[in-house]
Amino acid sequence: MARVYTSSVINASASRVWDRVRDFNGLPRWHPRIRDSRIEDALPSDKVGCIRNFNLQNGDNIREQLLGLSDYDMFCTYAILESPMPLSDYIATLRLTPVTDGDRCFVEWSAEFSADPSDEDALVNGIGTDVFQAGFDALKRHFGS
Amino acid sequence: MVAVIRSTILDAPVEAVWEVIRDFNGHDAWHPAVDASQIERGHPSDKVGCVRRFKLADGSELREQLLTLSDMEQSFSYCLLETPIPLFNYVAHCRLLPVTDGDITFWEWESRFDTPAGREGELAEMVGTDIYLAGFDAVRSHMGLGSA
Repeated sequence: MARVYTSSVINASASRVWDRVRDFNGLPRWHPRIRDSRIEDALPSDKVGCIRNFNLQNGDNIREQLLGLSDYDMFCTYAILESPMPLSDYIATLRLTPVTDGDRCFVEWSAEFSADPSDEDALVNGIGTDVFQAGFDALKRHFGS
Repeated sequence: MVAVIRSTILDAPVEAVWEVIRDFNGHDAWHPAVDASQIERGHPSDKVGCVRRFKLADGSELREQLLTLSDMEQSFSYCLLETPIPLFNYVAHCRLLPVTDGDITFWEWESRFDTPAGREGELAEMVGTDIYLAGFDAVRSHMGLGSA
């Protein structure tokens, strides 16, 4: 099992950051790598089990299924169903935790997946940098530092 | 049941912070409320189940038992056995998490406990401020860190 863990501190309350990232269909609004997204079968995007079908700026298509969503603990867990990446059994979680001494938020984005050992390092670095850290950087630009 | 949670960011790598707070018998080295600390029966301080005896700055004593210690998750849990302060069924958890895009540390300290009726707010504030926030600041100054 390969594992990716990326974390950061965003200069806004956890509830404000959650407002921005909670929508499972909302990646194009806050993540610069995502061009467009739709939820299959016209389900609501907070219905656990729904599938988002989205395209990256480079044209790659990915389908992901929402496995868990908590407004109380502020996390979202999802699995990749289809993607061009050479991996399988991919499950990721985006989680927000308040930092109580100041109006800040600790954000974690992690994933586990299976891949051919020769692909693992490139996948871990690519997902950690181009997806997770790129998302955090976009949130930092939006909320200021 | 009262729940208290406080968290902060420390401007140091998680391994360095863990080295300071991991020692269940070492909190007297940095926490201003603790004058002296001793582990009962000569047990090592990383033996889960060991009991520490604190002498507080005001001369009173309390005993706490280590319930969990994880070097992998950089966390520990403990409960109060005897205390001069009326905190009952008190269980606390400390955990550190790395902030990977700055090589700094997220530290969360939380607990749940019962109090005599009517004293919930006052005691929750005391625990959150005088123990947890004061502990964050004390570790910061112990490690020579600025604010992050």
